[in-house]
Amino acid sequence: MSILKVDQVAIGYSNALIIDDLSVSIPEKKITTIIGPNGCGKSTLLKAISRVLKTKSGAVYLDGRAIHQLQTKEVAKKMAILPQSAEAPAGLTVFELVSYGRFPHQSGFGSLKKEDYEYIYWALDVTGLMEFKDRSIEALSGGQRQRVWIAMALAQGTEILILDEPTTYLDLAHQLDILLLLQRLNEEEGRTIVMVLHDLNHASRFSDYMIAMKDGALMMEGTPEEVMTCLNLQSVFNIDASIATCPFSKNPICLSYQLFQKNK
Amino acid sequence: MKKKTLMTKDQQRSKSRNLIVIGILGLLIIIAFMISMNTGYIKLSPLEVIRTLFGYGTEKQRLILFEFRLPRIVIAVLVGMGLAVSGCVLQGISRNALADPGILGINAGAGLAVMLFISFFPSTTAAPVFLLPILAFVGAGVTAVIIYALAYKRNEGISPMRLILTGVAVAAGISSIMIVLTLRLSPENYQFVATWLAGSIWGSNWKFVLSLLPWIVILLPFVFSKARVLNVLNLGDLTATGLGASIEKERRLLLAAAVGLAGASVSVSGGIGFVGLIGPHLARQLVGSRHQFLLPATALAGGFLVLVADTIGRWILQPSEIPAGIVVAVIGAPYFLYLLSRLKD
Repeated sequence: MSILKVDQVAIGYSNALIIDDLSVSIPEKKITTIIGPNGCGKSTLLKAISRVLKTKSGAVYLDGRAIHQLQTKEVAKKMAILPQSAEAPAGLTVFELVSYGRFPHQSGFGSLKKEDYEYIYWALDVTGLMEFKDRSIEALSGGQRQRVWIAMALAQGTEILILDEPTTYLDLAHQLDILLLLQRLNEEEGRTIVMVLHDLNHASRFSDYMIAMKDGALMMEGTPEEVMTCLNLQSVFNIDASIATCPFSKNPICLSYQLFQKNK
Repeated sequence: MKKKTLMTKDQQRSKSRNLIVIGILGLLIIIAFMISMNTGYIKLSPLEVIRTLFGYGTEKQRLILFEFRLPRIVIAVLVGMGLAVSGCVLQGISRNALADPGILGINAGAGLAVMLFISFFPSTTAAPVFLLPILAFVGAGVTAVIIYALAYKRNEGISPMRLILTGVAVAAGISSIMIVLTLRLSPENYQFVATWLAGSIWGSNWKFVLSLLPWIVILLPFVFSKARVLNVLNLGDLTATGLGASIEKERRLLLAAAVGLAGASVSVSGGIGFVGLIGPHLARQLVGSRHQFLLPATALAGGFLVLVADTIGRWILQPSEIPAGIVVAVIGAPYFLYLLSRLKD
């Protein structure tokens, strides 16, 4: 079952068309990762899926309904977005920022109700931020800050989570930390997760489904085993990759790689 | 009740702290009000002021307080509130701490309208004087619309950065037109325009209070009701959209409210610019960046600032006056520099 369906979309800024005629389906209750070289349009696709960017033609369907015709607040109850580089206003505490995740569920002056508190505390708990809840966000480390933003998206209480490079700027342990959290959310709560990752091995290890893009077009999609092959990586990234099996998760991983010699 | 038990101690503490800060700001306005009532060419003792306020004063005391000082004080507070909240909204929607009503060309537009009027109808008889606020408001509104239209791009809507840059450019253009126009003015008209541009509470009259009050009474609660939206807009367009805010619509509404507040204020006060910048900064230092507290604190801080500035301006060079806008700048600029130096680390 696909929960999100991208149907023949063309997306671009002002004059430049970045994606032309792309169709893809995102499976429900699975982790889907979009990979591809810099500038291939993966972030753009993610923005279109999350209705931040309007499509020039074609449409994105959420549960079978065109996303741009839905009330943005209704979409926000089903889908949360974690942008690539989010910055919190000065002086905000962890709890306050996470509480903003309740925005689509509130009305009027927006004092928090019991249900709101439950979601916020749950989000703080899952992300391991309970002890930091009254700290100012500026006082946190990069990894903790990233978790605060994820907690805010979680407090939104949505079936779908969309994340644009959630592990950027984090060290190895913290990267895994975030991805394991997402995996747990997917396995235990059945949340649909769509993200962009740069690290192919992480993508392979944590995804049920992978989408490879290049030059604004969809190159291939499928399970990590189907996508992570020498031939595919050659055509997508133009690299000569040595593929092995991950000793921990038994997924294909890229052991090492080199660039193809340009013969002239 | 249940809600309270769910808040942590720190949250309760910060909430009550914020409420106390807001209470203190309110108290400061009342103190400044009492002092301002006592300030002027004709000395009245505090006791006489209180007696007159409760209806036991002489005819002359009543005239001084109710017809001269009180409307002026009310206007000073309202103008301060309007400009400061306008600045706070603009800083919120543009995510730029340096935004203030000046960047929307509101001061420049209002100033140009006043100047055009004075240079073509030089006789400042009674009737035109009452036309000035309306003209200034129209000037402010038209300029804001022009800037919005220039900054607007199809498909992408309005980007805060483009809005600010366009505002700066248009304001600079208008300023240069005004300099050309000043060459045509007679000395006494020039004097009037110069004072107006500097920002003085010149319209100390109940009619001006009435022309300003509806804007404040309608727009302040409207903006306060958008506190949550402003919080979310502060996180950036992507996050705000993800949270389900219709950013384009909300931004347009809030922008219109900011223009309305600043335009109405400027129309009776002239170009008091600095309050819109410093009011929100002062309030943010006191209560943090959540708009539920920030907006009321900003309103009170702005009202207090302009009232104090106007009182000082009336008192310091008696019997002549210094425009409140200049006093605000003289007090505000050093304080602002101090804030900036503290923010660095």
